Amino acid sequence: MGALNAELIKLKRGLAWPVVVLLPIVLVLAGAATQLARGGQPENGWHTVWVQSVVFYGLFPLAIGVAILGSLVWRAEHRGSNWNALMSGPTSSLRIVIAKAAVVAGLTAIMQIILLVSVVAIGKLAFGLPGMLPGQYVGITGLLVVATIPVAAVQSALSMVLRSFAAPIAVALVAAGISLALLMIEVPGAIASPYGLATRTTQLGTGMFADTGTITGGDVVAILIAAAILAVALVTVTTWILERRDTRI
Amino acid sequence: MNTRAVSNEFAKMRHLRVGLVAVVMVVAVLGLSLYTVVSSPTFSPEAPGAWNGLLAGMSLGIPLVFPLLLAVLASRQIDIEHQGNGWLLQATSGLTPGGMCRAKFIALGLIVTAITIGTSLLVLATGKLLVGIIPPVPFVHWAGFTGCMLAVNLVVLAGHILVSAKIDNQLVALGIGILGTILAVFSQGLPAVAAHLTPWGYYALAMAADYRGSGFVALPLPYPSIAALAVVASVVFTIITYRFDHQEA
Repeated sequence: MGALNAELIKLKRGLAWPVVVLLPIVLVLAGAATQLARGGQPENGWHTVWVQSVVFYGLFPLAIGVAILGSLVWRAEHRGSNWNALMSGPTSSLRIVIAKAAVVAGLTAIMQIILLVSVVAIGKLAFGLPGMLPGQYVGITGLLVVATIPVAAVQSALSMVLRSFAAPIAVALVAAGISLALLMIEVPGAIASPYGLATRTTQLGTGMFADTGTITGGDVVAILIAAAILAVALVTVTTWILERRDTRI
Repeated sequence: MNTRAVSNEFAKMRHLRVGLVAVVMVVAVLGLSLYTVVSSPTFSPEAPGAWNGLLAGMSLGIPLVFPLLLAVLASRQIDIEHQGNGWLLQATSGLTPGGMCRAKFIALGLIVTAITIGTSLLVLATGKLLVGIIPPVPFVHWAGFTGCMLAVNLVVLAGHILVSAKIDNQLVALGIGILGTILAVFSQGLPAVAAHLTPWGYYALAMAADYRGSGFVALPLPYPSIAALAVVASVVFTIITYRFDHQEA
């Protein structure tokens, strides 16, 4: 817990919160703005509001948002002599990797909750939709929280290895693009990529791209299993890499 | 133009993977352009407006890919000065921060020019050789679109150089890059007045072709708007870099 507590203290003075809050809100607002510019109500009510907000969000902004969080969380360790302090401290590599990935995943989870709240707020305030957002979208948000853990782990790993703030973000954009292409041409096992897994989850029940529009138990189980396997594998590999890193002169 | 400063900037690029980012930009836009025509059920290489399909693809691909990767290029080129305190070193050698920003803009601008023109020519060659489009190429419209995209790309690049130089934390520059991508994409659904308000909106204004009704149609290019953007951006960039020259490094 000590490593995680240390990371949480670092977050207090970090700039992660504007990303966590603003990215989902801006995307939901942008989707609503184009709908309002057309001057019409969402054709299928809550479903349309969800699709116009979340599907584009899942194409690449989600991956980039997680990448920025990863770069921010590791930024402090690459400055001054902090890397050497990290390497010479008593905290094991596994605990460092888990703490960093957990912080990125936690911030990513908050981002998904803000996305959900923004969709509800836009549906109610901008479009005056009746009732409440159907429960299936709340379930998808919960699933998205789990499905983004591997993206958080891989971006944390990239930001650990790459000292540049921007490089992991560029990698996220490219990887999200490749994963989307694999999903669109319906390559089996596209969710074996952390980015493909997150994108696929945002498309659940929307009927967009490779999605059929119906959520099956098989889809949910496949996403949960892929998330678990990827998260464990990525943390293991990242720990192995960090074990072989040394101080920098 | 300080040619030694510009060539120095090219020397600094050696380890910044600029070539890799450039290749990603070109390949991503080429892929999205080809996907646009392949995924269109009405597209035919023999149709009189067949080239409009590829122009529409580029009009979609460039706003999706370029804003963030331009931010990455600018951020990496500037961040090395923040990390190594290059501002002070160069200032004591007679090159002020504003002069460095101008040198960086010229160096990166040459690369962005090559990327933009290269992407345009590659899509053109692919349309002729791979897709087998038969009607004659609309050279004037194609060159006009390429010129408009080049102007917007250079304006966005200049803006990112200023932001990255002014604010040490590259989160801000990359965050603006993401916001720019969202604005570039969603401005296509907003009124033209709204698209004029930000540099990224001009990507949407300069759409060369779009899918309308039963096929792709060419759209008029907003040359006066793009020219006005270029003039305003040049003046603002000159003033701000002049102010940088009078600040302590």
